[in-house]
Amino acid sequence: MKTIIIPILTLTFIFILMSFQTGNILCNAKEMKEKASALLDPYKYDSSEMTKILYKTKESVKEVEVPLFIGEKYRFVFEMEALPKHVEVQIYNKDKNSKNRKLLFSSKESASDKKEFQFDVTRVRTVYVDYIVPQAEAGAYTGCAVFMLGYRLK
Amino acid sequence: MTIKLLAIPIIAASLTFFSCGTNSEDQKNQSAEEPDSTVNIPDVALAAATDDNEISYNLPSPLQIAYVFKKSGAGFISTLPNNKANTTKYNTSNYKKAVNFGVYSADLAYCLFNKKYQESKEYLKACKDIGSYLGLDKAFESENMAQRFDKNISNDDSLIKLVSSVQMKTDIMFEENKQKHIKVLAIAGAWTESLYIACEIYTKDKNKKIQASLLEQLLLSEPIIKALKSNKNTEVEVPALIASIEKINTEFNMIPAISSAVEKDEEIDSNTISITDNEMRLMIESIKALRAEMIK
Repeated sequence: MKTIIIPILTLTFIFILMSFQTGNILCNAKEMKEKASALLDPYKYDSSEMTKILYKTKESVKEVEVPLFIGEKYRFVFEMEALPKHVEVQIYNKDKNSKNRKLLFSSKESASDKKEFQFDVTRVRTVYVDYIVPQAEAGAYTGCAVFMLGYRLK
Repeated sequence: MTIKLLAIPIIAASLTFFSCGTNSEDQKNQSAEEPDSTVNIPDVALAAATDDNEISYNLPSPLQIAYVFKKSGAGFISTLPNNKANTTKYNTSNYKKAVNFGVYSADLAYCLFNKKYQESKEYLKACKDIGSYLGLDKAFESENMAQRFDKNISNDDSLIKLVSSVQMKTDIMFEENKQKHIKVLAIAGAWTESLYIACEIYTKDKNKKIQASLLEQLLLSEPIIKALKSNKNTEVEVPALIASIEKINTEFNMIPAISSAVEKDEEIDSNTISITDNEMRLMIESIKALRAEMIK
């Protein structure tokens, strides 16, 4: 019995250490999306996008372009718990290369320890979800953010 | 004895540590040489090419497209959806499976929002069959889907909820199977089928509201092209598909009222814009040709 337990325990311990080595957090699409969908109601599930976030040596932006139907009511839900370092979510009416774009939402307005956000919108044709990825002190950290879109049936 | 037992896992773990360390170093070096470029995440396959792009695209589901189209007052024409018996015909390339999974998803949504419940059930079965060729079985098998469908037949809200739940499970499977490019192809297929249905109904009815809804759907061509381009090296048929959608997009932008709005950088209001049947003709032919190519 001992002959099996010792190697198993050693390997388990080492793999746990390895997961901390680069700051990687397991991105479980199913778990994260199911959690996000709980915040959609009464909106119906439309689509979702899991974005892999790689922390770099300087601040970077990952953008998701979201086409919408004008006049429809939408809810945006974000699940951010699989991120080793805080990432801000900003939603704009134009892409990150455009001048004079308007900020529609920022997760800064929410409590800093909050890992789930929601934002409702209507009368917009396209929005751009920007993940503002802070610089990492050392090495490469990775994580995932889930964005989910719901639409309202009238 | 204990030392021997510990030696094997420690050596194995050390080797793994070294390999992980190299990745980290590589990432750091790449980061230093190319500060603005994206670093590859080692476990991400080619299939998930969009993961490493700075920009990705979240495209609408077939259900939402069908819902918006239904609000235009368009009726149901039973001959428009693709033949349900054709599913086995598409068990060839990944491209055929993916785009036709999208085609059948759009047909399911079209039937559902027109309260054609028996047809909806049959198209759900078609989606399940073609989904199995794509490794999506689990999304359709969970929670006794067929029984739940029967139980809720004629209850709109419950059925929409059920199909939305299948949609979400399918999206999760695409994510887990590293098939984001297949998801984009499926959405392109669903979009083409929805456009085809809208074109046929518009051609028959010449209804302004249906035209407006058709124009709204056409505005999705640009994000779909961009999403396909970020996955263009995944399947051999993708460049030709991009060319076909670009042709439709060009013809759409050549419509005088559209090009005028684009030139003035004005928002296109599909409800008030004035477009003649003749101006729509060329584009409608291209949509029909693309749909015919997809389902053949």
